[in-house]
Amino acid sequence: MHGIWGIYFRELLIFKSKFFKNLLASVISPLLFLFAFGFGIGKDTQIDGTNYIAFLLPGLLTMTSLNQAYGISSEINISRFYFKIFDEYLIAPIGRWQILLGESLYGVTKGFISAAIIIILAYILDVKFSISFLFVVILLLHLLIFSMLGFSAALIVRNHGDQFAINSFIITPMVFLSGTFYPIDMMPAIIKYVVHIFPLTYTTKLIRDAFLYNRLTSITYLLVSIFILFSLFLFGIFIVRRIE
Amino acid sequence: MEINNIEVKDLTKKYNDLVAVDDISFSVRKGDIIAILGPNGAGKTTLIKMLTGLLSPTKGIIFYNNVNFSKSQKKVKKVIGLVPQENNIDRDISVHNNLLIHAILYGINYKERNKAIMEALSFAEIDDYKSKLANELSGGLKRRLVIARAMLHKPKILFLDEPTVNLDPHSRRHIWNFIRKINNESQTTIFITTHYIEEADLLAKNVLIMDRGKIIASGSPEKLKSRLGSFTLEIFKSDSIEYQFFHNREEAIQFGEKLNCSFKIRELSLEDLYIKITGKRIE
Repeated sequence: MHGIWGIYFRELLIFKSKFFKNLLASVISPLLFLFAFGFGIGKDTQIDGTNYIAFLLPGLLTMTSLNQAYGISSEINISRFYFKIFDEYLIAPIGRWQILLGESLYGVTKGFISAAIIIILAYILDVKFSISFLFVVILLLHLLIFSMLGFSAALIVRNHGDQFAINSFIITPMVFLSGTFYPIDMMPAIIKYVVHIFPLTYTTKLIRDAFLYNRLTSITYLLVSIFILFSLFLFGIFIVRRIE
Repeated sequence: MEINNIEVKDLTKKYNDLVAVDDISFSVRKGDIIAILGPNGAGKTTLIKMLTGLLSPTKGIIFYNNVNFSKSQKKVKKVIGLVPQENNIDRDISVHNNLLIHAILYGINYKERNKAIMEALSFAEIDDYKSKLANELSGGLKRRLVIARAMLHKPKILFLDEPTVNLDPHSRRHIWNFIRKINNESQTTIFITTHYIEEADLLAKNVLIMDRGKIIASGSPEKLKSRLGSFTLEIFKSDSIEYQFFHNREEAIQFGEKLNCSFKIRELSLEDLYIKITGKRIE
Protein backbone atom coordinates (compact mmCIF):
# COMPACT_ATOMS: atom_id res chain seq x y z
CA MET A 1 0.00 0.00 0.00
CA HIS A 2 3.01 2.29 0.34
CA GLY A 3 2.80 2.97 -3.40
CA ILE A 4 -0.71 4.44 -3.07
CA TRP A 5 0.36 6.58 -0.13
CA GLY A 6 3.60 7.71 -1.83
CA ILE A 7 1.78 8.89 -4.94
CA TYR A 8 -1.09 10.48 -2.98
CA PHE A 9 1.37 12.22 -0.67
CA ARG A 10 3.34 13.55 -3.65
CA GLU A 11 0.20 14.93 -5.26
CA LEU A 12 -0.90 16.55 -1.99
CA LEU A 13 2.47 18.28 -1.64
CA ILE A 14 2.20 19.66 -5.18
CA PHE A 15 -1.43 20.67 -4.52
CA LYS A 16 -0.38 22.43 -1.31
CA SER A 17 2.34 24.34 -3.15
CA LYS A 18 -0.37 25.81 -5.43
CA PHE A 19 -3.21 25.76 -2.93
CA PHE A 20 -4.66 29.26 -3.44
CA LYS A 21 -4.45 29.01 -7.22
CA ASN A 22 -6.26 25.67 -7.05
CA LEU A 23 -8.84 27.02 -4.63
CA LEU A 24 -9.51 30.06 -6.77
CA ALA A 25 -10.00 27.84 -9.84
CA SER A 26 -12.61 25.89 -7.86
CA VAL A 27 -14.45 29.07 -6.85
CA ILE A 28 -14.36 31.21 -10.03
CA SER A 29 -15.89 28.74 -12.44
CA PRO A 30 -19.05 27.89 -10.40
CA LEU A 31 -19.55 31.54 -9.53
CA LEU A 32 -19.48 32.48 -13.21
CA PHE A 33 -22.02 29.79 -14.05
CA LEU A 34 -24.14 30.82 -11.10
CA PHE A 35 -24.27 34.42 -12.31
CA ALA A 36 -24.65 33.57 -16.02
CA PHE A 37 -27.25 30.80 -15.66
CA GLY A 38 -28.63 31.15 -12.17
CA PHE A 39 -29.26 34.85 -11.84
CA GLY A 40 -29.55 35.24 -15.64
CA ILE A 41 -32.47 32.83 -15.91
CA GLY A 42 -33.88 34.12 -12.68
CA LYS A 43 -34.61 33.01 -9.17
CA ASP A 44 -38.31 32.77 -9.89
CA THR A 45 -37.97 30.15 -12.62
CA GLN A 46 -39.22 26.76 -11.49
CA ILE A 47 -37.89 23.42 -12.75
CA ASP A 48 -39.50 20.15 -11.64
CA GLY A 49 -41.19 22.12 -8.88
CA THR A 50 -37.85 23.45 -7.62
CA ASN A 51 -36.46 26.95 -7.72
CA TYR A 52 -33.85 27.15 -10.56
CA ILE A 53 -30.97 28.20 -8.27
CA ALA A 54 -31.65 25.15 -6.08
CA PHE A 55 -31.79 22.99 -9.25
CA LEU A 56 -28.56 24.52 -10.59
CA LEU A 57 -26.40 24.26 -7.47
CA PRO A 58 -26.10 20.46 -7.36
CA GLY A 59 -25.45 20.62 -11.12
CA LEU A 60 -22.63 23.05 -10.46
CA LEU A 61 -21.41 20.77 -7.70
CA THR A 62 -21.16 17.81 -10.10
CA MET A 63 -19.56 19.95 -12.82
CA THR A 64 -16.96 21.62 -10.58
CA SER A 65 -16.03 18.45 -8.75
CA LEU A 66 -15.86 16.60 -12.09
CA ASN A 67 -13.51 19.28 -13.44
CA GLN A 68 -11.28 18.90 -10.40
CA ALA A 69 -11.32 15.09 -10.35
CA TYR A 70 -10.94 14.70 -14.12
CA GLY A 71 -8.37 17.53 -14.03
CA ILE A 72 -5.76 15.10 -12.69
CA SER A 73 -5.41 14.03 -16.34
CA SER A 74 -3.69 17.32 -17.25
CA GLU A 75 -1.44 17.06 -14.21
CA ILE A 76 -0.49 13.44 -15.01
CA ASN A 77 0.05 14.51 -18.60
CA ILE A 78 2.51 17.21 -17.55
CA SER A 79 4.32 14.95 -15.11
CA ARG A 80 4.48 12.23 -17.75
CA PHE A 81 5.55 14.15 -20.83
CA TYR A 82 7.19 17.28 -19.45
CA PHE A 83 8.73 16.62 -16.03
CA LYS A 84 8.98 12.83 -16.51
CA ILE A 85 8.03 12.33 -12.84
CA PHE A 86 5.72 9.51 -13.89
CA ASP A 87 8.82 7.40 -14.63
CA GLU A 88 9.60 7.53 -10.89
CA TYR A 89 6.35 5.67 -10.25
CA LEU A 90 6.98 3.19 -13.05
CA ILE A 91 10.43 2.15 -11.80
CA ALA A 92 9.38 2.00 -8.12
CA PRO A 93 8.80 -1.48 -6.63
CA ILE A 94 5.03 -1.03 -6.50
CA GLY A 95 2.12 -2.61 -8.33
CA ARG A 96 0.94 -0.43 -11.18
CA TRP A 97 -2.62 -0.60 -9.83
CA GLN A 98 -1.29 1.42 -6.88
CA ILE A 99 -0.50 4.27 -9.27
CA LEU A 100 -4.15 4.24 -10.42
CA LEU A 101 -5.46 4.28 -6.84
CA GLY A 102 -2.97 6.89 -5.57
CA GLU A 103 -3.85 9.29 -8.38
CA SER A 104 -7.60 8.59 -8.07
CA LEU A 105 -7.50 9.31 -4.36
CA TYR A 106 -5.95 12.66 -5.17
CA GLY A 107 -8.70 13.37 -7.73
CA VAL A 108 -11.31 12.50 -5.09
CA THR A 109 -9.67 14.86 -2.57
CA LYS A 110 -9.67 17.74 -5.07
CA GLY A 111 -13.28 16.97 -5.94
CA PHE A 112 -14.38 17.00 -2.28
CA ILE A 113 -12.74 20.40 -1.74
CA SER A 114 -14.58 21.91 -4.74
CA ALA A 115 -17.84 20.28 -3.58
CA ALA A 116 -17.35 21.88 -0.16
CA ILE A 117 -17.15 25.30 -1.84
CA ILE A 118 -20.49 24.74 -3.61
CA ILE A 119 -22.03 23.58 -0.34
CA ILE A 120 -20.90 26.85 1.26
CA LEU A 121 -22.45 28.72 -1.70
CA ALA A 122 -25.70 26.78 -1.21
CA TYR A 123 -25.71 27.78 2.44
CA ILE A 124 -25.12 31.46 1.56
CA LEU A 125 -27.92 31.37 -1.05
CA ASP A 126 -30.25 29.79 1.47
CA VAL A 127 -30.88 26.65 -0.59
CA LYS A 128 -32.26 23.74 1.40
CA PHE A 129 -29.93 20.75 1.09
CA SER A 130 -28.89 17.61 2.88
CA ILE A 131 -25.38 16.35 3.59
CA SER A 132 -26.32 12.75 4.29
CA PHE A 133 -24.34 9.52 4.22
CA LEU A 134 -26.10 8.77 0.94
CA PHE A 135 -24.90 12.07 -0.56
CA VAL A 136 -21.28 11.45 0.53
CA VAL A 137 -21.27 7.91 -0.90
CA ILE A 138 -22.75 9.07 -4.21
CA LEU A 139 -20.32 11.99 -4.42
CA LEU A 140 -17.45 9.57 -3.75
CA LEU A 141 -18.73 7.31 -6.53
CA HIS A 142 -18.96 10.30 -8.90
CA LEU A 143 -15.43 11.49 -8.05
CA LEU A 144 -13.89 8.03 -8.38
CA ILE A 145 -15.49 7.62 -11.81
CA PHE A 146 -14.09 10.89 -13.14
CA SER A 147 -10.68 10.53 -11.48
CA MET A 148 -10.28 7.12 -13.09
CA LEU A 149 -11.52 8.47 -16.41
CA GLY A 150 -8.96 11.29 -16.13
CA PHE A 151 -6.21 8.81 -15.25
CA SER A 152 -6.94 6.57 -18.24
CA ALA A 153 -7.26 9.56 -20.59
CA ALA A 154 -3.84 10.86 -19.46
CA LEU A 155 -2.22 7.51 -20.20
CA ILE A 156 -3.93 6.93 -23.54
CA VAL A 157 -2.93 10.25 -25.10
CA ARG A 158 0.41 10.65 -26.81
CA ASN A 159 0.85 14.39 -26.27
CA HIS A 160 -0.75 17.55 -24.82
CA GLY A 161 -2.71 18.11 -28.05
CA ASP A 162 -4.52 14.78 -27.71
CA GLN A 163 -5.43 15.70 -24.14
CA PHE A 164 -6.91 19.00 -25.32
CA ALA A 165 -8.93 17.16 -28.00
CA ILE A 166 -10.47 14.81 -25.40
CA ASN A 167 -11.43 17.79 -23.25
CA SER A 168 -13.00 19.63 -26.20
CA PHE A 169 -14.81 16.75 -27.87
CA ILE A 170 -15.88 14.62 -24.92
CA ILE A 171 -15.71 16.40 -21.56
CA THR A 172 -17.22 19.77 -22.56
CA PRO A 173 -20.25 18.30 -24.40
CA MET A 174 -20.77 15.89 -21.50
CA VAL A 175 -20.76 18.73 -18.96
CA PHE A 176 -23.38 20.70 -20.90
CA LEU A 177 -25.65 17.84 -21.94
CA SER A 178 -25.87 15.67 -18.83
CA GLY A 179 -28.57 17.53 -16.95
CA THR A 180 -26.14 19.81 -15.17
CA PHE A 181 -27.78 23.13 -16.08
CA TYR A 182 -31.24 22.03 -17.15
CA PRO A 183 -33.24 18.77 -17.09
CA ILE A 184 -32.59 16.18 -19.77
CA ASP A 185 -36.36 16.01 -20.34
CA MET A 186 -36.22 19.49 -21.89
CA MET A 187 -33.79 18.35 -24.59
CA PRO A 188 -34.74 17.15 -28.11
CA ALA A 189 -35.85 13.50 -28.15
CA ILE A 190 -32.73 12.14 -29.84
CA ILE A 191 -30.37 13.94 -27.42
CA LYS A 192 -32.34 12.53 -24.47
CA TYR A 193 -31.23 9.04 -25.47
CA VAL A 194 -27.73 9.94 -26.61
CA VAL A 195 -26.80 11.58 -23.28
CA HIS A 196 -27.17 8.24 -21.56
CA ILE A 197 -23.75 7.28 -22.90
CA PHE A 198 -22.28 9.89 -20.52
CA PRO A 199 -21.57 8.73 -16.96
CA LEU A 200 -22.26 12.28 -15.79
CA THR A 201 -25.96 11.89 -16.70
CA TYR A 202 -26.30 9.21 -14.03
CA THR A 203 -24.21 10.82 -11.30
CA THR A 204 -25.80 14.26 -11.77
CA LYS A 205 -29.26 12.82 -11.20
CA LEU A 206 -28.10 10.80 -8.18
CA ILE A 207 -26.24 13.74 -6.63
CA ARG A 208 -29.10 16.20 -7.21
CA ASP A 209 -31.66 13.93 -5.60
CA ALA A 210 -29.40 13.13 -2.64
CA PHE A 211 -28.36 16.75 -2.16
CA LEU A 212 -31.79 18.38 -2.42
CA TYR A 213 -34.10 15.66 -1.15
CA ASN A 214 -31.84 13.10 0.58
CA ARG A 215 -33.30 10.31 -1.52
CA LEU A 216 -32.14 7.66 -3.92
CA THR A 217 -34.62 7.97 -6.77
CA SER A 218 -33.09 5.47 -9.14
CA ILE A 219 -31.46 2.18 -8.16
CA THR A 220 -30.84 1.61 -11.88
CA TYR A 221 -28.78 4.82 -12.10
CA LEU A 222 -26.81 3.75 -9.02
CA LEU A 223 -26.11 0.30 -10.45
CA VAL A 224 -25.11 1.77 -13.81
CA SER A 225 -22.73 4.17 -12.02
CA ILE A 226 -21.17 1.32 -10.02
CA PHE A 227 -20.79 -0.68 -13.23
CA ILE A 228 -19.09 2.30 -14.93
CA LEU A 229 -16.71 2.69 -11.98
CA PHE A 230 -15.84 -1.00 -12.00
CA SER A 231 -15.23 -0.91 -15.77
CA LEU A 232 -13.04 2.21 -15.51
CA PHE A 233 -11.06 0.61 -12.68
CA LEU A 234 -10.33 -2.47 -14.80
CA PHE A 235 -9.61 -0.33 -17.85
CA GLY A 236 -7.26 1.90 -15.80
CA ILE A 237 -5.31 -1.14 -14.59
CA PHE A 238 -5.13 -2.49 -18.14
CA ILE A 239 -3.84 0.84 -19.48
CA VAL A 240 -1.26 1.45 -16.72
CA ARG A 241 0.10 -2.08 -17.09
CA ARG A 242 0.84 -1.61 -20.77
CA ILE A 243 2.17 1.93 -20.48
CA GLU A 244 5.79 2.36 -21.57
CA MET B 1 18.79 -13.24 -2.31
CA GLU B 2 21.48 -10.77 -3.25
CA ILE B 3 21.09 -9.16 -6.65
CA ASN B 4 24.13 -7.49 -8.12
CA ASN B 5 24.88 -8.88 -11.54
CA ILE B 6 23.07 -8.75 -14.84
CA GLU B 7 22.89 -11.11 -17.76
CA VAL B 8 21.20 -10.03 -20.95
CA LYS B 9 20.37 -12.51 -23.70
CA ASP B 10 19.28 -11.68 -27.26
CA LEU B 11 17.62 -8.43 -26.20
CA THR B 12 15.66 -6.64 -28.93
CA LYS B 13 13.34 -3.66 -28.97
CA LYS B 14 11.41 -2.74 -32.08
CA TYR B 15 9.17 0.28 -32.69
CA ASN B 16 7.21 -0.70 -35.79
CA ASP B 17 9.94 -0.93 -38.45
CA LEU B 18 12.64 0.72 -36.35
CA VAL B 19 14.94 -1.63 -34.45
CA ALA B 20 16.22 0.44 -31.51
CA VAL B 21 18.06 -2.43 -29.81
CA ASP B 22 19.05 -5.30 -32.03
CA ASP B 23 19.62 -8.73 -30.52
CA ILE B 24 22.28 -7.87 -27.96
CA SER B 25 23.76 -10.06 -25.23
CA PHE B 26 26.18 -9.16 -22.46
CA SER B 27 26.79 -9.64 -18.76
CA VAL B 28 27.79 -7.36 -15.88
CA ARG B 29 29.42 -8.67 -12.70
CA LYS B 30 29.16 -7.47 -9.11
CA GLY B 31 31.08 -4.26 -8.47
CA ASP B 32 31.73 -3.56 -12.15
CA ILE B 33 31.40 -0.15 -13.71
CA ILE B 34 30.20 -0.74 -17.24
CA ALA B 35 29.78 2.04 -19.77
CA ILE B 36 27.63 1.87 -22.86
CA LEU B 37 29.21 4.21 -25.34
CA GLY B 38 27.58 5.33 -28.53
CA PRO B 39 26.24 8.30 -30.48
CA ASN B 40 22.76 9.74 -30.01
CA GLY B 41 20.22 7.28 -31.35
CA ALA B 42 22.47 4.24 -30.81
CA GLY B 43 19.87 2.63 -28.53
CA LYS B 44 21.53 3.34 -25.16
CA THR B 45 18.50 4.89 -23.45
CA THR B 46 16.17 2.21 -24.85
CA LEU B 47 18.51 -0.41 -23.39
CA ILE B 48 18.57 1.23 -19.94
CA LYS B 49 14.77 1.59 -20.01
CA MET B 50 14.41 -2.14 -20.66
CA LEU B 51 16.89 -2.96 -17.88
CA THR B 52 14.91 -0.87 -15.38
CA GLY B 53 11.43 -1.98 -16.41
CA LEU B 54 10.34 1.23 -18.13
CA LEU B 55 10.09 -0.61 -21.46
CA SER B 56 9.25 -4.20 -22.29
CA PRO B 57 11.62 -5.95 -24.66
CA THR B 58 10.22 -7.15 -27.99
CA LYS B 59 12.44 -10.22 -27.58
CA GLY B 60 15.09 -11.54 -25.23
CA ILE B 61 15.55 -12.06 -21.50
CA ILE B 62 17.13 -10.03 -18.71
CA PHE B 63 18.39 -11.94 -15.69
CA TYR B 64 19.42 -10.39 -12.40
CA ASN B 65 21.34 -13.14 -10.57
CA ASN B 66 19.33 -15.80 -12.40
CA VAL B 67 16.06 -14.01 -11.57
CA ASN B 68 14.06 -13.42 -14.74
CA PHE B 69 13.31 -9.67 -14.60
CA SER B 70 10.05 -9.88 -16.54
CA LYS B 71 8.68 -12.32 -13.96
CA SER B 72 9.99 -10.71 -10.74
CA GLN B 73 10.04 -6.99 -11.49
CA LYS B 74 9.04 -5.82 -7.99
CA LYS B 75 11.74 -7.89 -6.29
CA VAL B 76 14.46 -6.59 -8.62
CA LYS B 77 13.24 -2.97 -8.61
CA LYS B 78 13.80 -2.82 -4.83
CA VAL B 79 17.54 -3.19 -5.36
CA ILE B 80 18.14 -1.14 -8.50
CA GLY B 81 18.34 2.62 -8.81
CA LEU B 82 18.05 4.87 -11.83
CA VAL B 83 19.48 8.30 -12.57
CA PRO B 84 17.57 9.17 -15.74
CA GLN B 85 18.76 11.47 -18.48
CA GLU B 86 16.39 14.26 -17.42
CA ASN B 87 16.38 15.66 -13.88
CA ASN B 88 12.88 14.35 -13.21
CA ILE B 89 12.43 15.97 -9.81
CA ASP B 90 9.43 17.82 -8.41
CA ARG B 91 10.49 21.42 -8.78
CA ASP B 92 7.77 22.99 -6.63
CA ILE B 93 8.58 21.06 -3.45
CA SER B 94 11.64 20.94 -1.23
CA VAL B 95 14.72 18.78 -1.71
CA HIS B 96 13.81 16.90 1.50
CA ASN B 97 10.27 16.18 0.31
CA ASN B 98 11.53 14.93 -3.05
CA LEU B 99 13.51 12.34 -1.13
CA LEU B 100 10.66 11.63 1.28
CA ILE B 101 8.33 10.68 -1.60
CA HIS B 102 10.98 8.29 -2.93
CA ALA B 103 11.44 6.78 0.55
CA ILE B 104 7.69 6.12 0.81
CA LEU B 105 7.49 4.66 -2.72
CA TYR B 106 10.32 2.26 -1.88
CA GLY B 107 8.60 1.16 1.32
CA ILE B 108 11.28 2.44 3.69
CA ASN B 109 9.99 2.07 7.22
CA TYR B 110 8.62 5.25 8.84
CA LYS B 111 11.28 5.19 11.58
CA GLU B 112 14.15 4.72 9.13
CA ARG B 113 13.03 7.27 6.55
CA ASN B 114 14.63 10.30 8.10
CA LYS B 115 17.96 8.53 8.60
CA ALA B 116 17.95 7.29 5.00
CA ILE B 117 17.14 10.81 3.72
CA MET B 118 19.89 12.40 5.81
CA GLU B 119 22.42 9.82 4.59
CA ALA B 120 21.45 10.41 0.96
CA LEU B 121 21.66 14.20 1.41
CA SER B 122 25.03 13.86 3.08
CA PHE B 123 26.34 11.47 0.45
CA ALA B 124 25.43 13.83 -2.39
CA GLU B 125 26.71 16.78 -0.33
CA ILE B 126 23.44 18.67 -0.54
CA ASP B 127 22.60 18.75 3.20
CA ASP B 128 22.62 22.54 3.16
CA TYR B 129 19.90 22.65 0.52
CA LYS B 130 17.41 20.23 2.08
CA SER B 131 14.78 22.91 2.79
CA LYS B 132 15.17 24.68 -0.53
CA LEU B 133 12.71 24.21 -3.36
CA ALA B 134 14.22 21.88 -5.95
CA ASN B 135 13.62 24.55 -8.57
CA GLU B 136 16.05 26.87 -6.80
CA LEU B 137 18.98 24.47 -7.28
CA SER B 138 21.59 24.88 -10.02
CA GLY B 139 21.85 22.26 -12.78
CA GLY B 140 24.70 20.48 -10.98
CA LEU B 141 22.85 20.42 -7.66
CA LYS B 142 19.67 19.13 -9.33
CA ARG B 143 21.76 16.31 -10.77
CA ARG B 144 23.12 15.56 -7.31
CA LEU B 145 19.56 15.48 -5.94
CA VAL B 146 18.63 12.90 -8.59
CA ILE B 147 21.69 10.85 -7.58
CA ALA B 148 20.79 11.19 -3.87
CA ARG B 149 17.28 10.00 -4.67
CA ALA B 150 18.54 7.01 -6.67
CA MET B 151 20.89 6.07 -3.79
CA LEU B 152 18.32 6.55 -1.01
CA HIS B 153 17.16 2.93 -0.93
CA LYS B 154 20.77 1.68 -1.19
CA PRO B 155 20.56 -0.07 -4.55
CA LYS B 156 22.92 -2.89 -5.43
CA ILE B 157 22.89 -1.86 -9.08
CA LEU B 158 22.79 1.77 -10.17
CA PHE B 159 21.88 2.81 -13.71
CA LEU B 160 22.94 6.26 -14.87
CA ASP B 161 21.68 7.47 -18.23
CA GLU B 162 23.99 10.17 -19.58
CA PRO B 163 24.79 11.34 -16.02
CA THR B 164 26.85 14.38 -16.97
CA VAL B 165 25.09 15.64 -20.07
CA ASN B 166 24.67 19.45 -20.10
CA LEU B 167 26.80 19.92 -16.97
CA ASP B 168 29.72 22.33 -16.68
CA PRO B 169 33.22 20.74 -16.35
CA HIS B 170 33.34 21.32 -12.59
CA SER B 171 29.98 19.63 -11.95
CA ARG B 172 30.90 16.86 -14.33
CA ARG B 173 34.02 16.01 -12.31
CA HIS B 174 31.98 16.15 -9.13
CA ILE B 175 29.54 13.58 -10.54
CA TRP B 176 32.43 11.36 -11.66
CA ASN B 177 33.75 11.41 -8.09
CA PHE B 178 30.31 10.40 -6.79
CA ILE B 179 30.16 7.50 -9.21
CA ARG B 180 33.57 6.26 -8.05
CA LYS B 181 32.55 6.74 -4.41
CA ILE B 182 29.30 4.77 -4.89
CA ASN B 183 31.24 1.96 -6.54
CA ASN B 184 34.08 1.90 -3.98
CA GLU B 185 32.12 2.27 -0.76
CA SER B 186 29.39 -0.30 -1.30
CA GLN B 187 30.59 -2.40 -4.23
CA THR B 188 27.54 -1.13 -6.11
CA THR B 189 27.43 -2.33 -9.69
CA ILE B 190 27.30 0.73 -11.95
CA PHE B 191 25.84 0.85 -15.43
CA ILE B 192 26.39 4.12 -17.32
CA THR B 193 25.33 5.19 -20.77
CA THR B 194 27.28 8.06 -22.21
CA HIS B 195 28.32 9.67 -25.42
CA TYR B 196 31.33 11.28 -23.75
CA ILE B 197 34.27 9.07 -24.58
CA GLU B 198 36.52 10.42 -21.82
CA GLU B 199 33.78 9.58 -19.30
CA ALA B 200 33.70 5.94 -20.38
CA ASP B 201 37.50 5.79 -20.52
CA LEU B 202 37.91 7.33 -17.08
CA LEU B 203 35.24 5.46 -15.14
CA ALA B 204 34.51 2.13 -16.74
CA LYS B 205 36.12 -1.20 -16.13
CA ASN B 206 34.31 -2.43 -19.21
CA VAL B 207 32.94 -0.61 -22.21
CA LEU B 208 30.29 -1.72 -24.70
CA ILE B 209 30.28 0.35 -27.88
CA MET B 210 26.83 0.53 -29.42
CA ASP B 211 25.79 1.73 -32.82
CA ARG B 212 22.39 1.39 -34.50
CA GLY B 213 21.14 -0.88 -31.76
CA LYS B 214 24.02 -3.34 -31.89
CA ILE B 215 27.09 -3.88 -29.71
CA ILE B 216 29.96 -3.47 -32.11
CA ALA B 217 32.85 -3.83 -29.64
CA SER B 218 33.33 -4.65 -25.96
CA GLY B 219 36.08 -5.00 -23.36
CA SER B 220 38.08 -2.92 -20.94
CA PRO B 221 39.13 0.52 -22.29
CA GLU B 222 42.75 -0.67 -22.42
CA LYS B 223 41.88 -3.88 -24.22
CA LEU B 224 39.73 -2.03 -26.72
CA LYS B 225 42.41 0.56 -27.41
CA SER B 226 45.13 -2.06 -27.73
CA ARG B 227 43.31 -3.43 -30.77
CA LEU B 228 44.72 -0.44 -32.64
CA GLY B 229 47.88 0.25 -30.68
CA SER B 230 48.98 2.84 -28.13
CA PHE B 231 49.71 5.98 -30.14
CA THR B 232 47.85 7.95 -32.75
CA LEU B 233 49.59 9.86 -35.48
CA GLU B 234 47.48 12.77 -36.76
CA ILE B 235 48.58 13.72 -40.25
CA PHE B 236 47.54 17.24 -41.28
CA LYS B 237 46.97 17.18 -45.03
CA SER B 238 45.94 20.30 -46.95
CA ASP B 239 42.22 19.44 -46.92
CA SER B 240 41.88 16.76 -44.26
CA ILE B 241 43.34 15.05 -41.19
CA GLU B 242 44.32 11.42 -41.45
CA TYR B 243 45.05 9.01 -38.61
CA GLN B 244 47.56 6.17 -38.28
CA PHE B 245 47.92 3.96 -35.22
CA PHE B 246 51.12 2.52 -33.72
CA HIS B 247 52.12 0.30 -30.84
CA ASN B 248 55.06 2.50 -29.88
CA ARG B 249 56.00 6.14 -30.16
CA GLU B 250 59.26 5.52 -32.13
CA GLU B 251 57.42 3.76 -34.93
CA ALA B 252 54.99 6.67 -35.12
CA ILE B 253 57.83 9.26 -35.22
CA GLN B 254 59.67 7.35 -37.95
CA PHE B 255 56.50 7.14 -40.01
CA GLY B 256 55.73 10.83 -39.52
CA GLU B 257 59.21 12.00 -40.47
CA LYS B 258 58.92 10.31 -43.83
CA LEU B 259 55.84 12.43 -44.63
CA ASN B 260 55.90 15.76 -46.44
CA CYS B 261 53.33 17.37 -44.11
CA SER B 262 52.99 18.27 -40.47
CA PHE B 263 51.89 15.70 -37.93
CA LYS B 264 51.18 15.23 -34.22
CA ILE B 265 51.58 12.20 -32.00
CA ARG B 266 49.32 11.60 -29.02
CA GLU B 267 48.07 8.72 -26.90
CA LEU B 268 45.44 6.60 -28.57
CA SER B 269 41.90 7.27 -27.35
CA LEU B 270 38.67 5.32 -27.36
CA GLU B 271 37.39 7.80 -29.91
CA ASP B 272 40.10 6.64 -32.32
CA LEU B 273 38.83 3.10 -31.92
CA TYR B 274 35.25 4.22 -32.35
CA ILE B 275 36.02 6.09 -35.56
CA LYS B 276 38.03 3.20 -36.87
CA ILE B 277 35.30 0.62 -36.31
CA THR B 278 32.30 2.73 -37.26
CA GLY B 279 33.78 5.25 -39.64
CA LYS B 280 32.16 8.19 -37.85
CA ARG B 281 32.86 10.56 -34.98
CA ILE B 282 30.79 10.65 -31.79
CA GLU B 283 29.09 14.00 -31.31
